[in-house]
Amino acid sequence: MIRIQGLTVGYGRKPVIRGLDASFAPGRFTALVGPNGCGKSTLLRAVMGFLRPQAGRVTLDGVPMARIPRRALARRIAWLPQENHCPDYLTLGELVEMGGHARQGLFAGPDDRDRLLFREALRIVGLQDQAHLPVNALSGGQRQRAFIAMVLAQDTPVVLMDEPVNHLDVTYQYALLGLVRDLTRRHGRTVVSVLHDLNLALSFADEVVMMSGGEARASGPVAEVLNAANLREVFDLDAQVIRHEGRRICLPALPEPSA
Amino acid sequence: MRRGFPVLAALALALCLLLALSAGESWIPPSGIWAALARFDETRQADVIVIYQRLPRALIAMLAGAALSMSGAVLQGVLRNPLASPSLVGINAGAALAVVAGAFLLGLEPRAQGSAALAGGGLGFLASLGVARLAGHAHDPRGLALILSGAIVSMFLGGLTQALLLSDPALRQDYLGWLGGNVSHVHAERLADFWGLAALGMAAMLLLARRLSLLALGAEKAASLGIDVARTQLLALGAAVLASASAVAICGPLGFLGLVVPHLVRPLTGARFGALLPGCALAGACLCLLADLIARMALAPLALHTGVVLELLGGIAFMLMVRRFYLRGAEA
Repeated sequence: MIRIQGLTVGYGRKPVIRGLDASFAPGRFTALVGPNGCGKSTLLRAVMGFLRPQAGRVTLDGVPMARIPRRALARRIAWLPQENHCPDYLTLGELVEMGGHARQGLFAGPDDRDRLLFREALRIVGLQDQAHLPVNALSGGQRQRAFIAMVLAQDTPVVLMDEPVNHLDVTYQYALLGLVRDLTRRHGRTVVSVLHDLNLALSFADEVVMMSGGEARASGPVAEVLNAANLREVFDLDAQVIRHEGRRICLPALPEPSA
Repeated sequence: MRRGFPVLAALALALCLLLALSAGESWIPPSGIWAALARFDETRQADVIVIYQRLPRALIAMLAGAALSMSGAVLQGVLRNPLASPSLVGINAGAALAVVAGAFLLGLEPRAQGSAALAGGGLGFLASLGVARLAGHAHDPRGLALILSGAIVSMFLGGLTQALLLSDPALRQDYLGWLGGNVSHVHAERLADFWGLAALGMAAMLLLARRLSLLALGAEKAASLGIDVARTQLLALGAAVLASASAVAICGPLGFLGLVVPHLVRPLTGARFGALLPGCALAGACLCLLADLIARMALAPLALHTGVVLELLGGIAFMLMVRRFYLRGAEA
């Protein structure tokens, strides 16, 4: 359980997030939604401990995050940043192996269980035959899947993802988020993901935190909270949320044609 | 290629070493080298040449080549900038100024000049770091501030060195050679003094290899994977400065190796430091031996300075490399 209490954090003096409360429970997939610049990525980076809070605190199972050493933290939380960099000549297989770093000793390499995990991670993202290729020779979408595989290979109870499916075609968007949902349902993992596509949030997430201006405007079960009234408040958007065969679909209104 | 590279590089190094001991003004066959190593006889001229001239010179070349190349790879990785190298972050210029100033102002003995070079190299790097801090190094993910301040500090220290050299024509003659980087058996005692520190730096870099590989993914990603980023950067920079400043203390500021060798080796070993660093050590030692061989043989009996040959070779190698890799990148 990750609990965020009264968190105020930002870059320099200016806070990006102001007095935010939220909690992410095991077995739940939480979507972070909100307009550009509302502090979603900053929130994830603050949880990771990359930014020093001006006020408030973040705890993992009751322990303040700042007190957990990096190596121990890496065995409990994996983070997929919005932008991923990879040095030239690093192969996909090597990249995924790096996900297992925190579990390995100074000299010991990956064990059999790790290797199985690496292969499985590559299979899930559909790159099992490309392990020998340099990551930077892959297409944008394949590269994004490579970094998702690395996060899966880290094999942590908590996974934080910043726009994980942005560069992917629609097939992989649904396949990968389906898999992420399985991680929560079957394996009791905690998943928090920034999502821009509200229909993906409606289809896969259990919970939603709707942010704007550095504050959580609404949070709770996605079916209750992601509604027309909240969309208007958070995004300043006219949209209908309609039901179709048991699913919810967000349909924004078209803007008036300008005269 | 990746699997075979360490074996090939080791073989090439052994061959270069054999050549470096055999070739010279007089050719000494492998049997003669073996005889000199196994049953050294002071009255045999060949034995004296091998043991007192060619072997120390070859050892210096190998140590300097390995230390500078590994340091270059580590600096490029930690600063995440492909232009980083020991000569570009103030180490060479600091060492040069310390030696020249020590000799001109304090009349340091040649042997003490090694220590001066080591201290000067470290101080030159710290000065670059200090200027980078002033420029806001903390918010600079590409390490550009450090590269630029390294260039500025190098120019400033280089200017001071030039001023000192110009002030005394007699001493100028003695130091111009060393300043270009000079592998010579004259410096055998400095090898004895500093090989330990260079080896310590290189061992520390090897121990940090896995963490350095992760650091190349970016500081925050590396932290999320379990790396103590600040500590790893500090240890890695310290080890790289120690190894390269020790090399400079032995044979003067050899340029180019630290910049060029990592770029040559990376396509052959891959980007992981566990393979890259040993590859750089082998290839750097090999290249430095070859450059030294060329320096001794090309215009025999006149001996060129190894540093001069390296800069010439390095310049050509870098041009080919840029052509090959950057143009191929543009096509892809």
